Amino acid sequence: MQVSVETTTGLERRMTVGVPAGEVDNAVSQKLKETARRVRIDGFRPGKVPVSVVKQRFGAGIRAEVLEEVVRNYYVKALTEEKVVPAGSPSIEFTKDAAGEDVEFTATFEVFPEVELAPFDGYEFEKSSAEVTDADIDTMLENLQKQRANYVSVERPAVNGDRVKIDFVGKVDGEAFEGGSAEGQSVTLGSGQMIPGFESGIEGMSVGQTKAVEVTFPEDYGNEELAGKAAVFDITLHEVAEAELPELNEEFFTAFGAEGKDLETFKAEVRKNMEREARTALEGALKNSVIDQLVASNEFDVPSALVADEIQRLKQQALQQFGQQAQFDVNTLPDEIFKDQAERRVKVGLIMNEVISKAEIKADDETVDAYINDQASVYQDPQQVIDYYKSNDEMLNQVKAAVVENAAIDHILKASKVAETVVSYEEAIKSKNAAQG
Amino acid sequence: MNQERIYQVVFGPHISEKATIVAEDNSQYVFRVASDATKPEIKKAVEQLFEVKVESVRTLIQKGKTKRTQRGMGKRNDVKKAYVRLAAGQEIDFLAAE
Repeated sequence: MQVSVETTTGLERRMTVGVPAGEVDNAVSQKLKETARRVRIDGFRPGKVPVSVVKQRFGAGIRAEVLEEVVRNYYVKALTEEKVVPAGSPSIEFTKDAAGEDVEFTATFEVFPEVELAPFDGYEFEKSSAEVTDADIDTMLENLQKQRANYVSVERPAVNGDRVKIDFVGKVDGEAFEGGSAEGQSVTLGSGQMIPGFESGIEGMSVGQTKAVEVTFPEDYGNEELAGKAAVFDITLHEVAEAELPELNEEFFTAFGAEGKDLETFKAEVRKNMEREARTALEGALKNSVIDQLVASNEFDVPSALVADEIQRLKQQALQQFGQQAQFDVNTLPDEIFKDQAERRVKVGLIMNEVISKAEIKADDETVDAYINDQASVYQDPQQVIDYYKSNDEMLNQVKAAVVENAAIDHILKASKVAETVVSYEEAIKSKNAAQG
Repeated sequence: MNQERIYQVVFGPHISEKATIVAEDNSQYVFRVASDATKPEIKKAVEQLFEVKVESVRTLIQKGKTKRTQRGMGKRNDVKKAYVRLAAGQEIDFLAAE
């Protein structure tokens, strides 16, 4: 077996492998004999078909089959011999494959890039911790109250915060447009649910009154035909309802799944939840910034085969997000929209692997247990969640991967400069939303 | 003999264990032919179709089996076969000649 590897471009390698003729031809004639014993051909008793007839009928197919097998074996053998690790599957081409002669094929594939990690100590991160103040808790309580608010009809002009029932007809240039009219629509004033100017236009109206409100659609409005246009809405007000906030009593607390009977315990519970939420948000933000830094400071080529795989995976994810409409074929989506994201993901994966193997990070049972306990504490019945994680190997592996990743991030953080800052609860939550978007 | 008649005379090769053996040992090829075909006709047809030299032709008529059906006795068609011996060194590759 002769093997030679040459570099074509970047990460692409072309491997030429020669296979001696005898090996292929022996395998072919072996296979032919075997087939002759099995095959049924009209005019011949079973098992009595001459090899020459079998060869005439199935020769080409059998040879192709044998070649495929030979190529698979030799490809793997050649890879171990040359100590190259391919990324993705190769494309194989025969340069010589005539019967009775030596067979030669070339396999073209990409190799994993050699990731040379840039030293971590130049990195600077901001590690923030959030402080939940009493004011934050009060705002949260108020929001919770608003969620549970009862609306009671009142006889007075509408003010901000009221829920109103209206009919409206929208007109652009004096003509009603599609989707611009509704009857019996409930709108909470000040909720920002309608376009700007619409809700404030209703304020001050009283029941039974009809008013024309002039508004301008914002420039970035979803419907392009309407964006930036001036419109007139004829609004008729049917009902004004005032929000009545529920009292902070036991009933209210249990509605939110809290067990405490008095305000203090509920507040403590809220605080605990908020602190956890802020912590995970900030941890996520920090992790993202570490990964961003890693990607930015480590430049290397990414094997396109891996990117292509990743694109497929992203497409599947996208499909699930769309709610798996039966007629929707993900393959119709252009690859380009996923390309950048896929490349980044592959890069992050390669870098993390390198970090993990360099630092010899392993998931030990203790940290895994701690991680699972932490995850489970969010649920009503933590023990059930813990048991579920532990009974499911796949889940356990995911947890292990997450733990290892966190450890790798910690490892990087230890080596780099970290500045500690304190931010407010709101900022912490905002950073989480920003990271997701 | 005109071109049309050639295709009417020779139906195709007859493939069987025996046909394979005689092809290898005696360079004889077995064809199914029209029941009214004569030996000289078969010789010419094979020579023209496969561009070979034919030494001799022997024919036989294989009688069709009688089969009982619900509506009385039936009989399958007779088949005329021709054993065509080629001149020394000549052969027919049926796959290539299709």
